[in-house]
Amino acid sequence: METQAITKQPLKGLVLNIQHFCTYDGPGIRTTVFFKSCSLRCKWCSNPESIHPEPELAYNASKCIGVKECGFCKKECPESAIFTVDSDVKVRIHWDLCTNCGKCVAVCPPQSLYRFGQAMTVDQVLDEVEQDSTFYRESGGGITLSGGECLLQPEFSAALLAGAHERGVNTAIETAGNVPWRFMEKVLPHVDTMLHDHKLTDPERHRKWCGTDNTRILSNYMKAYEKFPKIKFIARTPVIPGVNDDEEHIHRVLAFIRPHKNVVDYELLPYFRAGASKYGFLGRVYELSDFQPPRPESLARLCATIDAAFGRTVGKK
Amino acid sequence: MIFPTGSKVTGKKQHLKFSSIGEKTMTTPTKRIAINNGGGYVPGLNTVLTGAILAANELGWEVIGIRDGFDGLLFPERYLEGGTVPLSHHLVEALSGAASPILGIAARTDPFHVRTVNSENQVEEVDRSNELLETLRKDHIEGVISVVSARNLGILWKLDRKGLKTVCVPTSVENDIAATVLSFGFNSALSYATETLDRARQAAQSARKIGVVEVLGEHAGWLALQAGIAVCADAVFIPEIPYDLAKVAANVQRKLKAAGRHSGLVVVAEGATPLAGHQASQTQAQSPNPFRVSLCPGAMDPESSHVIERSGHVAETVALQLQRQTGQETYPLVLGPLVKAGAPTAVDRQLGLGYGAAAVRAIKENQTGVMVAFQPPEVKLVPLAEAINRIRTVPTDSVFLQVARSLGIALGD
Repeated sequence: METQAITKQPLKGLVLNIQHFCTYDGPGIRTTVFFKSCSLRCKWCSNPESIHPEPELAYNASKCIGVKECGFCKKECPESAIFTVDSDVKVRIHWDLCTNCGKCVAVCPPQSLYRFGQAMTVDQVLDEVEQDSTFYRESGGGITLSGGECLLQPEFSAALLAGAHERGVNTAIETAGNVPWRFMEKVLPHVDTMLHDHKLTDPERHRKWCGTDNTRILSNYMKAYEKFPKIKFIARTPVIPGVNDDEEHIHRVLAFIRPHKNVVDYELLPYFRAGASKYGFLGRVYELSDFQPPRPESLARLCATIDAAFGRTVGKK
Repeated sequence: MIFPTGSKVTGKKQHLKFSSIGEKTMTTPTKRIAINNGGGYVPGLNTVLTGAILAANELGWEVIGIRDGFDGLLFPERYLEGGTVPLSHHLVEALSGAASPILGIAARTDPFHVRTVNSENQVEEVDRSNELLETLRKDHIEGVISVVSARNLGILWKLDRKGLKTVCVPTSVENDIAATVLSFGFNSALSYATETLDRARQAAQSARKIGVVEVLGEHAGWLALQAGIAVCADAVFIPEIPYDLAKVAANVQRKLKAAGRHSGLVVVAEGATPLAGHQASQTQAQSPNPFRVSLCPGAMDPESSHVIERSGHVAETVALQLQRQTGQETYPLVLGPLVKAGAPTAVDRQLGLGYGAAAVRAIKENQTGVMVAFQPPEVKLVPLAEAINRIRTVPTDSVFLQVARSLGIALGD
């Protein structure tokens, strides 16, 4: 799924967002670059706008100023996908008719219609990232590539991380690992820290909840541990109640990572519902609408298991 | 009631009498048509099949059922007995209105975005609409009757534009499909909701509380409004009328005091929203964890809660607010998808049979890209283009609103 954009000159990648002052995406204070496109479809995904490999429309009705005062989008849409009902003040979107042409975005003054995904060059991204270099120096932070799946744009990711190193910026990636090994192999030489997901250990359950099995993911991780001993690997699990919040899963992940000394930590990311509203903005259905975050005592138990495995005494979430 | 003898089925150009279905046309060359359910479950889906099978049989046509929306054709390997089912008129005798739909259901069937795993083990959505049309062509299927919800009408319209001869039957327990007064399934849902609201009222009386019952209705409040009227609820919240909870609370409190009651009943549609600037404090208290949410500029906006968070959220929010403002104990109750199940009412049975038969008539008359629609006293065929970009909401001058106000039911404004 190498995008067409990355084959053109100058090299460009499809970037979703650049978020400053992140403290959960690797060591220190970091700037996280979110990539568009993902090769999994995890039902709990809190960044649904990152999934599809092309720019896509989103609509936040709360910002719409209404068809009486504005209404340009309705006139501009070539597919008649923007409409109103009866005495509607604000427009509605017929998502099945929308072709993501973006014409409505250009004429929306309050930006209630906007597009996720923007083609950016390596220098454009790095210039933005470098603004926080003081924080990186003080905290040991740097740049983190996230997504979506940053490894689906391997040339761009590699160039970005190499450029960051040239500017003296520490590098990290967040990946779910479901990419061809040749993609991963291209990027990892430029990575200092790799945060990698172990969502589910059972292949069939992984297929059910994430869209495909985890065989290749585990194979990639194993190769990465062995071929890139200098990288600090941090394993992560998004803890979803009733899906993978059992000790058996934690034990299986620990059994996979503990033989490799360059896997320095295992973190748990408790499920949270902050991404739910974004499904509405994109006209999609949030399948886990009835799920609630895991209970603190359940998390504490799992954390204790991990701490014990890493020989720590203090609970770490 | 719905189809008096001799009522008319009308297309754009001609009127057809239902009674003419009785005329045997066995000499007509055999035609093959298909039927599928692509709109989620509603009570009595089998009655639409029955109507279509019987009407097609009268014309000497063969009817094929496609399992699970279009999945039976797109993924035949998933089905031990094949992705399609021959639907003979003999089968009709075994078809019970209350039984699960024999063709299965697909809440969402979109051949334009079929989720697959490619050769690189990457999950992606691909357009398989051409493949679907080719399969139908190879199977000599000359028309498809799709029982669909409002959301899936657009997909059928797109397929029609690509050359699929399609006739849609509207199905919605929320009755929110435009161009028809009655969608299939609504009457059954309304009956069940009314019966359950009666029980909720008795439970509330017993517990001396105000029952706040949430029913389906994301965009249109027909179910909440009509069921609320049927049980003379104290208040009804619908998406069309943003609610001012302080006003409603005062209204309900006044009513309870005047009647010397200690219990009440409030019906809320799941899409009901507070007036701008009157966001429920509970919603604000549940502000999202700042951890990685700033990707979407609107995600942190407190008003972004216009999106339905989850089933039961509105009932909980309203119940809590009402308890705070009235001092009267409340309890939330959610009917949710329960109204989609069970046996169809007599009205829905007639409607389903009539819609199925009318859809066959439409194919016979070479009408394509249309939806059968009940516009009393006739069943008409309306172009899909007239139905897809509209939602049948409760208009401000609706007679139901007038009735509710006359009965003293608070409507949130």
